Amino acid sequence: MTQVTKTYGGGDAAVHALDDVDFNIEAGEVVVVMGPSGAGKTTFLTIAGALLTPTSGTVEISGVNITALSEKELPDVRRERIGFVFQSFNLLEALSAIENVTLVMTEGSPKSRGAVNRASELMNMLGLGHRLKSLPRNLSGGEKQRVAIARALANNPDLILADEPTANLDSKRGREVMQLLRQIAFEMHKAVVIVSHDHRTREIASRIAWLEDGTFRPDVATDRDPVCQRVVEVQGSPAFSYESRSYYFCSTQCLELFKADPAQQLAGKRQ
Amino acid sequence: MLLVARKNLFSEWTRLVISVGGVALSVFLISLLLSLYRGWDEKVGGFVEHSNVDLWLGSEGAEDFLTAASLLPTEGKEAEQAKEYLNAYPSIDQWSPMIVRLMQGVRVDRISATEEKIGSKIDIHFIGFDPNTRLGGPIEVIEGRDTPGPGEVIIDEKLGDRHGIGIGDTLRAGGRDWTVVGKSRGGDFIATQTVFVSHAEAQAALRMQGATTFYVIKVRQGVDPAQLGAALEDQAARNEAPIVTHTREEFAKSTRDRVTSNVLPILFVVLGLAFIVGVSVAGLTIYTATIEKAREYGILKAVGFRNTYLYRVVFEQSAVTALLGFAVGIGLTVGIGPFASDYVPQFVLFTRWQDVLLVAGVTVVMALIAAYIPVRRLGAIDPVSVFKG
Repeated sequence: MTQVTKTYGGGDAAVHALDDVDFNIEAGEVVVVMGPSGAGKTTFLTIAGALLTPTSGTVEISGVNITALSEKELPDVRRERIGFVFQSFNLLEALSAIENVTLVMTEGSPKSRGAVNRASELMNMLGLGHRLKSLPRNLSGGEKQRVAIARALANNPDLILADEPTANLDSKRGREVMQLLRQIAFEMHKAVVIVSHDHRTREIASRIAWLEDGTFRPDVATDRDPVCQRVVEVQGSPAFSYESRSYYFCSTQCLELFKADPAQQLAGKRQ
Repeated sequence: MLLVARKNLFSEWTRLVISVGGVALSVFLISLLLSLYRGWDEKVGGFVEHSNVDLWLGSEGAEDFLTAASLLPTEGKEAEQAKEYLNAYPSIDQWSPMIVRLMQGVRVDRISATEEKIGSKIDIHFIGFDPNTRLGGPIEVIEGRDTPGPGEVIIDEKLGDRHGIGIGDTLRAGGRDWTVVGKSRGGDFIATQTVFVSHAEAQAALRMQGATTFYVIKVRQGVDPAQLGAALEDQAARNEAPIVTHTREEFAKSTRDRVTSNVLPILFVVLGLAFIVGVSVAGLTIYTATIEKAREYGILKAVGFRNTYLYRVVFEQSAVTALLGFAVGIGLTVGIGPFASDYVPQFVLFTRWQDVLLVAGVTVVMALIAAYIPVRRLGAIDPVSVFKG
């Protein structure tokens, strides 16, 4: 992504959701994009995912300048070069787990043995070999997200874009999903971009990119809000010292909750 | 069929049953009304069409068989002149007078103490034909005698079936009692049925001595009845005798028009309503299904499916719904057709394959319209929306 700007509206009302952004990721890397709400993370993800066209700048995926492609050519880019993992899993409810995966390979045409084999292979790899025929409503949140990951990998894309992939999962399932994404990057040699507020994603990140006010800010020191667990920028955030350590908060509400009973807040999160 | 279309359609049986039911109801109504129209068309014009009369000659203003608004002389100077002409025409094979009178008769069940004939009233077309030429007589006698003698009638089988009249029973019509001696086929006009007596008996019973309703003509082979009719009309005009002639086809058509021209506007309105019902039910169920699945269509767009694919999904769902509805609707019409008139005599259904094709075409239009609005909605779905929780 080179010098990408996305502006909504015009004149005095113009909003720069992304402002002259440069971003690069290599195969085998996991980059976690963090930042406060309204920083431009979703805009960044949708432009990277060929769903939105930037106002200016270029976006290249595996050497293909997707900003030079016509609107009609973008669906092919999304299907073949990018895998999406969504916060709400976004599986098709009427289709079985394996059909959700084969669908993107066959474009919903009659079954192809090759597609079924690849989907089975992926699902076995993700520990879903026994859930091939299950409908999404019969799967747990973690299983649904693993099906979504299998779907994202189905066409063997170079880039995986994950939008808050752990937001709807408990901590154990969330950690499993994070490990899977890390494995995909390192072992399958994919570039994985994760947009997240979840501090646990830092554990698997090759690097963290902090997006704020439409630009990536280098060398931003971050910490985890001990109350809501969000990752917050150290500088400028409400802070409180407790037992010789400084804690940073996303808002004064979290700060006040912490102040009321720091020991319980820390103990609660440790559980 | 596309996987998504098939799964969406068959994963929700209640919705499928409602939408297929809506289309089936519509197809059933449309095909039933069309079949009913064809049935009436066939019956009403059938007698004239299948009779052995090539040319009908009536007094001016006589346009159809049902009203039989004609009166011609059989005696006197004019009649003799007419007979002379008819006998002289080399292209005429046979001719004879024929009486047709719409009237009410009584199926006599019993006779009261005051000699009153008591029974159910029946609407009939009382026909007097010449037993020698048999022109305008029963089309096919299926039971009993084929020629009625004095005081005897041949009734149409449908009259017998509907009112329980058999051979040997008494029928009162035209102020006289008649004994049923035969049954014929092909004289059912839905609302009325034919009752045949000899021309002389009809004249006497109806006090029509010296008069008849029509002169009916059979032409020699190779002769064009229309040309003969035109020549007869010219001849009559020269003698200031206002007559009209109708070929078999013309007379059958005008007889049909007498009934169907009144029914057609109503029929078209009901057909239109049935079509709207089908489009509405199918359209609404497909539209609500599309709206409910808007997020899923957004997902498909996000992961790389084109709008054309999504359109195909909706069109296929609509097409399969319409196809199933068509099969059920047509099946019902074809299934009940042969038995309907057994329970409701006026419910004469005649389903032609051309009409089945027509209804199939209407169903395709129904499917296209039902899919049109949902498809427009699909085009407006923003794939970016799937990133919002």
